[in-house]
Amino acid sequence: MTQPRRRVSFSVLTLLAGVIALGVAVAMSLDTVPSEQEVEHRPIAVDSDGYVSSQTCQACHPAQYETWHSSYHRTMTQVATPDSVRADFDNVVVDAVAGTPMRLERRGDEFWAEFDDPGWEGPASERPRIIRQVVMITGSHYQNIYWYTTGHERALNVLPAVFLLEDQRWAPRSAVVLSPPHQGVATLDGHWNAICIACHTTHGKPQFETPFRSEPIASQAVATTVSEFGIACESCHGPADAHVQANQSPWRRYTLHLSGEPDPTIVEPTTLDPARSSQVCGNCHSVWEFYDVADERAANTDGLPYRPGDALIDTRFVAQPTANGTTPEMRALINADPDFVRGSFWSDGLVRVSGREYNGLIDSPCFQNATTAERTLSCFSCHTMHKTAEDPRSVDTWAATHQVSVGMDSNRACTQCHAEIAADLSTHTNHATDSTGSRCYNCHMPYTSYGLMRAIRSHTITSPSLQESVEVGRPNACNLCHLDRTLAWSGEYLREWYDLLIPPLDKDQRTVAASILWLLKGDAGQRAVTAWSYGWRPAQTASGTSWMVPYLGELLGDPYDTVRYIANRALQTVPGYEGLNYDFVGNRGDRLATAVDVITTWRNGTQSRARRDPQLLFNADGTLDTATMRKLFDERDRRLLFLRE
Amino acid sequence: MAPPTTSTDYVARHLSFGWWSLFVFLLLGLTLETMHGFKIGFYLDVSNSARRLMWTLAHAHGALLSLIHIIAALVLRTFPQIATAQRMVISRTLIGASVLLPGGFFLGGVSFYSGDPGVGITLVPVGAACLTVAVFQLARTSTDSTSTQRSGH
Repeated sequence: MTQPRRRVSFSVLTLLAGVIALGVAVAMSLDTVPSEQEVEHRPIAVDSDGYVSSQTCQACHPAQYETWHSSYHRTMTQVATPDSVRADFDNVVVDAVAGTPMRLERRGDEFWAEFDDPGWEGPASERPRIIRQVVMITGSHYQNIYWYTTGHERALNVLPAVFLLEDQRWAPRSAVVLSPPHQGVATLDGHWNAICIACHTTHGKPQFETPFRSEPIASQAVATTVSEFGIACESCHGPADAHVQANQSPWRRYTLHLSGEPDPTIVEPTTLDPARSSQVCGNCHSVWEFYDVADERAANTDGLPYRPGDALIDTRFVAQPTANGTTPEMRALINADPDFVRGSFWSDGLVRVSGREYNGLIDSPCFQNATTAERTLSCFSCHTMHKTAEDPRSVDTWAATHQVSVGMDSNRACTQCHAEIAADLSTHTNHATDSTGSRCYNCHMPYTSYGLMRAIRSHTITSPSLQESVEVGRPNACNLCHLDRTLAWSGEYLREWYDLLIPPLDKDQRTVAASILWLLKGDAGQRAVTAWSYGWRPAQTASGTSWMVPYLGELLGDPYDTVRYIANRALQTVPGYEGLNYDFVGNRGDRLATAVDVITTWRNGTQSRARRDPQLLFNADGTLDTATMRKLFDERDRRLLFLRE
Repeated sequence: MAPPTTSTDYVARHLSFGWWSLFVFLLLGLTLETMHGFKIGFYLDVSNSARRLMWTLAHAHGALLSLIHIIAALVLRTFPQIATAQRMVISRTLIGASVLLPGGFFLGGVSFYSGDPGVGITLVPVGAACLTVAVFQLARTSTDSTSTQRSGH
C-alpha cells in the first residue's frame, strides 16, 4: 500500500522541479534591463509622496488609460530608446548647429552625440568637443528635443540641434523659437531638472541641494526624480495611492458605482467648478512665476506644491496683465526682466504665445461674465482628456487635433450656449452659412498666438475690432482671412454689420492691405502669424494667392529664423512654388539668392499680372510699388523680440 | 417532466444537460470568435475590455461545466449505489453552478463600470460555492463507492 504513495510523491517532486527549472530558464532568458533605481546619470521615475503611476491606474481604468496612452501628453517626455527616438542617429553629421557640425552615433540601443562644449568659457577657437549620451526626449508631436547626460549626477542639458518631425530635419536649437537673430538660446547644465521638469513630467522633484543657478551645478547634488515621465493620470487627478488603497474593497467600489456618488479619494477635474477645473490645466498652460525665492527654493527641492483641486494662485503668481499688471508681484517681475510681459503678451495684456491657453481663457468674457457654472467656459467645454466611446474619430486623430471633444471642432462649441445665433447664423455672421466666414472660431478665436513655429488660435474669446490692430498691433480676424483688404475696408463692414466705430486710421491703414502692413512693418511676432495666414487655406480662398509671392519672398530674407521658416512653408502652398528648394537656416547668401529668384520668377510669370489692386501695392501698370514697400520696411518695428512659448 | 428519482434518471438528466449546455457555449464561442474576426468594437475595444474578459470567462466556464456534467453522469452511472439525497445535492448544485457561474460572468459583461464588471458578477461566487459543493460530493461519493466496491470484492 505504501509503494504507490511513494510513487505519487516522487512524481509531484519531479513536477515541481520541472516547474522551477522552467521558471529559472525563463528568468535567465529575459533581457536584463536595469531598474530605474540602478540608473545613475539621468532623472529616474519612482513612486513617492502618494503617487503610484499610470501602470496602477490601468487595471481599473483601461479605456481612460488607452486614450491617455495615445495622447501627446504621455510622450511629452520620454526616455531615449530605439522606440522613442525619431531621428536617425546612425553615424549622422548634423550641420545645422553653430560651430563644428554635431556627429550622432548609435551604440546598440544607446544614442550618443559629439558636439562643441556649450559650457566652454574660453576663446571660441579653442572650444573643445564633448561626447555625451542622449538619454531623454522632449516632445513627440512637432519636435524632438534631445537631452544628454552631463555626467554630473542626474543633471541634463540639451543638444544644440532639434529634430523637426514634420520636416524630418535638424535645426539649430535657437532657430526653432522666435528669438532675436544671432542670440543663442542659452541652456545650462541642469536646465531640464530645474525648469522643464515642472510641466513635462508628473510630480517632478528636481532635488537640488542648493537653488538652481545659485552655485555651479558641479558643486551641488542633483538627485532628480519624477513619478512618471510625461503628463500622466496623476498630473490631473492628483496622487492616487489613497484612492488605490481604498478601492481594493469591492464593497466600496460597488457602493460608489450604484450610488453614483463621487469618490472623495481622487480628484475628478471635470466635476470641479469651471474655474478650479481649468486651473488643473492652468497648472502648466499659463504664464506664472514663483511668489518669492522661498517658493522657488522649495520647488527646486520637492517640486511644485500645486495639487489638482487646489486654488492655483495659492501656489504661484499667475501673470495676467489685464488684472494684475500693476501689482507688486508683477512690478518685481518686470524689474527683474523688462521683457517679461512683452515676451508673452500683446500690449493690451492678452496672451500671444502657445502653451499658455489658461491665460486666454480667464480673459474671455465667456469665462468672466457667465452667470452659472453650466454656462461658464472652461477648458473642458471644448477639450477632453479621454476620447469617449461615442466619438467616431480614431484615437490618433483625436490626439492630433488637440484633444478637442467630439463635435467641438464645429460651431457647436459656441452654439451650445449661444443657441439664438445658431438659429439664424448668417444674420449674425453676414457670411454664407456654410462658409468659413460663418465658423465661430475663425472670428472669435483667430490665429493670433505664436508657438511651435506656427500660428495657433487665440484662446481669448474676442470679437474682431480695428482697435486691437490699430492700438495693439494684433492682427484682427477679418484681415487675417481677407489678407488682401485694408483695415478701412474691414472697418466699414464692422460698422455696417455690428455698429462698431472706426478708429482714426493713417494713410497706410486706409490704403494698404493690413496683412502687408503687418508683414512689412510689424514686429517678428506679427510677421510670423501673418505669414502663417498666407498659407492658411480659408484665407487663400478668400484672398487669392498670386499676389502673395513677392511678400513671402521678401520674408525668405527675414532676420528671424522662425519667420523665414513659416514664410517658406506658406510659399510652398502657393501654386508653382510647391517644390521650392530653400533652407531657412542655410547660408545667408543662398537664402537671399532664393528670395531674389522667387520674386524675379514671379515678376516674369503670369501670376504677377493676375491682380493690380493698389492696396496690394501694385502700380497701375502692374509693377510693384517698391517705393512704398521700402518706406513701410523702413518703418518696421525692429525691437528685439523673444516669444516665450 | 417528472423530477428524477432513479440513478438512471440522473444520468439521463446530466448527459442531456451537459450536451445541450456544451452546444449553447459552443455557439457562444462561435459568436465571440466572429466578433474577433470582424473586429467588433463592442467586444474588442479597450474600453470594453471588461466585457471581453467577462464573456471569455462565461464561455470558458460554461464549456468546462458542460463537460463536468457529462463526467458526472458517467460517475453516477458507474456508482448507482449513491444515496438518493446525495445524488440530488450533486445534481442541483451542479446545475446551479452551470447557470450561475457563466451566467454571472455573462451578465457582468453586459453592463459594467470601467474596469469593474456589472452587478451580475455577484452570481459568480454563489455559482462557485455550488460547484464546490458538487465537486466535493462527487469526490466523496466516488471515494466511498470505490471503497465499497473494493471491500465487496
